[in-house]
Amino acid sequence: MPSPVAFPDVALPESARRLRGEVRAFLDEERARGTVLGRPDSWLAGWDPGFSRRLAERGWVGMALPTEYGGAGRGFLERYVVIEELLAAGAPVSAHWVSDRQAGPSVLQHGTEEQRRFFLPRIAAGQCFFSIGMSEKSSGSDLASVATRAERTADGWRLTGTKMWTGGAHVNDYAIVLARTDDAEDRHAGLSQFIVDLRAPGVRVEPIRLMSGEHRFNAVHLEGVDVPDGMLLGRRGDGWQQVTGELAFERSGPERYLSTFPLLVSLLRELEQRRATAEQLTQVGILTARLLSLRQLSLGVAAALDAGASPDTQAALVKDLGTRLEGTLVDTVRSILPTPADPYATPGSHPELLAFALLHSPGYTLRGGTNEILRGIITRGLEQHS
Amino acid sequence: MNTRTIDTHTVNTHTIDTSTPVIPADAYDTTAFYADADAIATVTNPTAPDAVTLPSEDASTAELLAAAQEAGRRAVPAPLAETALVARPLLRRAGLPVPEGPLSYAIAPELTIRYAHPADSPVGSAGCLGEDDTLLVTGTLPRVPWGRAATAVVVLAAAPFGPVLFTLTPDLADLAPGGNLAEEPRDDLHLAALEVPAAQVRRIAPELLDEARLRAALARAALIAGAAERCVDLTVAHTTARTQFGRPLSHFQAVKQEEARLIEEAALVRAAVRAAAVPLDTGGPAVRLTVAAAKTQASASAAEIARIAHQLHGAIGMTRLHPLHLATTRLWSWRDEDGDETHWAHCLARPLTAATLWPALTTTP
Repeated sequence: MPSPVAFPDVALPESARRLRGEVRAFLDEERARGTVLGRPDSWLAGWDPGFSRRLAERGWVGMALPTEYGGAGRGFLERYVVIEELLAAGAPVSAHWVSDRQAGPSVLQHGTEEQRRFFLPRIAAGQCFFSIGMSEKSSGSDLASVATRAERTADGWRLTGTKMWTGGAHVNDYAIVLARTDDAEDRHAGLSQFIVDLRAPGVRVEPIRLMSGEHRFNAVHLEGVDVPDGMLLGRRGDGWQQVTGELAFERSGPERYLSTFPLLVSLLRELEQRRATAEQLTQVGILTARLLSLRQLSLGVAAALDAGASPDTQAALVKDLGTRLEGTLVDTVRSILPTPADPYATPGSHPELLAFALLHSPGYTLRGGTNEILRGIITRGLEQHS
Repeated sequence: MNTRTIDTHTVNTHTIDTSTPVIPADAYDTTAFYADADAIATVTNPTAPDAVTLPSEDASTAELLAAAQEAGRRAVPAPLAETALVARPLLRRAGLPVPEGPLSYAIAPELTIRYAHPADSPVGSAGCLGEDDTLLVTGTLPRVPWGRAATAVVVLAAAPFGPVLFTLTPDLADLAPGGNLAEEPRDDLHLAALEVPAAQVRRIAPELLDEARLRAALARAALIAGAAERCVDLTVAHTTARTQFGRPLSHFQAVKQEEARLIEEAALVRAAVRAAAVPLDTGGPAVRLTVAAAKTQASASAAEIARIAHQLHGAIGMTRLHPLHLATTRLWSWRDEDGDETHWAHCLARPLTAATLWPALTTTP
């Protein structure tokens, strides 16, 4: 049995190289249009449905979905190339991010044929945007403690409860909601996933503002929301396995180390104006070496996913390393070129980007499973192996 | 301070016998290192297929790196990485025959090199009597890895007519033994007007000097990756086996947190080393970038890896009763050899601009 922290070697196909060139050309066009601003954390904060649709027109949303469902059937490695280019450029991808990363693969894997035919082509066209309704007030990393309930009705389910940290619920179309359908002694049993129309009666979306003042997250109150039978995702009672099975998709991508990369680009732009010192270059080099090494690991997880493996431990490892680097990058950039962070400075200027990255920084090691919990997964994986 | 009585010359010439391309780990004469029989048992695991294969000369860089990493993991007392990844390829590139046995290298631009023929003679590279590149070499090759045990040392230096590569046998030098923190031989070779016959000298392109530095750094990074892995193996074994307050160390949250960071840091170094394998075979601008990144990452991670491994081992880890020191003293030594993280990070960053940073990061794979 291979070690749970072994990563496969990656060789990107020639097609991926061509694809990278196409994406860069597209990004140049969008920059000229003024939509790509090189901002940090663009997969959370860069909401631009028009941009998402133009990407979809090129076939770059739902890329890994099969062609029969409107996807491009291009696999995880080519998708990886596209999304890393978008993130490095700080492109506004948050509108379609969750649909592309989680909802699409999840519906493909667990959905009924009817659900696939309805949702997947819309996702790939950039016309259907999803939120994820997992967390609750008292269940963050302890997902098995969700209290939202789904009661059986004549022709479906009635959902009651409150989901927290539901990104984009105020602007998106649907949410995949984890709810308790059956009481069971095992907390992991009796959970099920539902596709909830965010505009259905009984859905009340309440903003949770970030300390920057931004409205990205919400509390979603499900006040007796009727969900038809056909919107149960996967099997009743299998919610836990389904959710944990998706985690490698959620945890390993380049978004787990590139959120603050645009800030490093901005720093280099500043250093070009003033002739960097040896000490400054050394610090930039140390960050760059870490980014390069991490990218290698992150690509390894994509390669494993492409090969049909479930690299859960590797994904947890990449996410812990990557999200810590996202924060370290902000601190190091500060120390390389001391600059007071200023949210009121010209948008896109170094002090403004620094302010933005700083205000977002506590989230990097929280979202997608806190890093302390991830480290438990890593050590358990290795100890069980050895 | 050096209490070791081991004759490294004997050990190493036989452990790296290239006619049998396997280095048995039991050739690691642990009795010279340890008095405690139990400790020796933990070093040489008799049930494991305990040998490091010295790859053949036409092996890919990826295979050579894997072997070097394994040598680093097992603290193999021989210049395996130096031979396979640095000396042999350089000799081949320069068109010199590859001697049998363990090899070493020295990049020494500060040597004083003259033609062996009298200065007023018309003999010279363009002289009327034809070419005669026989050299007279004076100066010191400092801290040559495994100098005393090498069949030949590959030297890269500046000659009056440009950069040269030549080989010399350590017997011809005045050898001052030295060592690193792990007591691996690092010997000064003093050369006093040593005559190097023209047959052992090759003029080289300046790029080969560069390549020598890159190869040496990458070999060292691969060794570090191996020692890091050894730290992980030993630490996981220790925290699972050792109980405190009635439960294994590994059940303590605080231990898990540190241990995961150790595992991650080691994985990062491995990935950095592996990223440089293909570029070194295919050439191009990615070579400098990936090798600089590999040595930067390996050297920068060494402190954290050693720190956590020792912390989780408790006091036993800093004794010779336990094999952990084999890995950590090597980490501390190797991170500084062939360029430390400051040197390579600077090399890595110097050509980067805001416009080229991302394209540079994505030149591989």
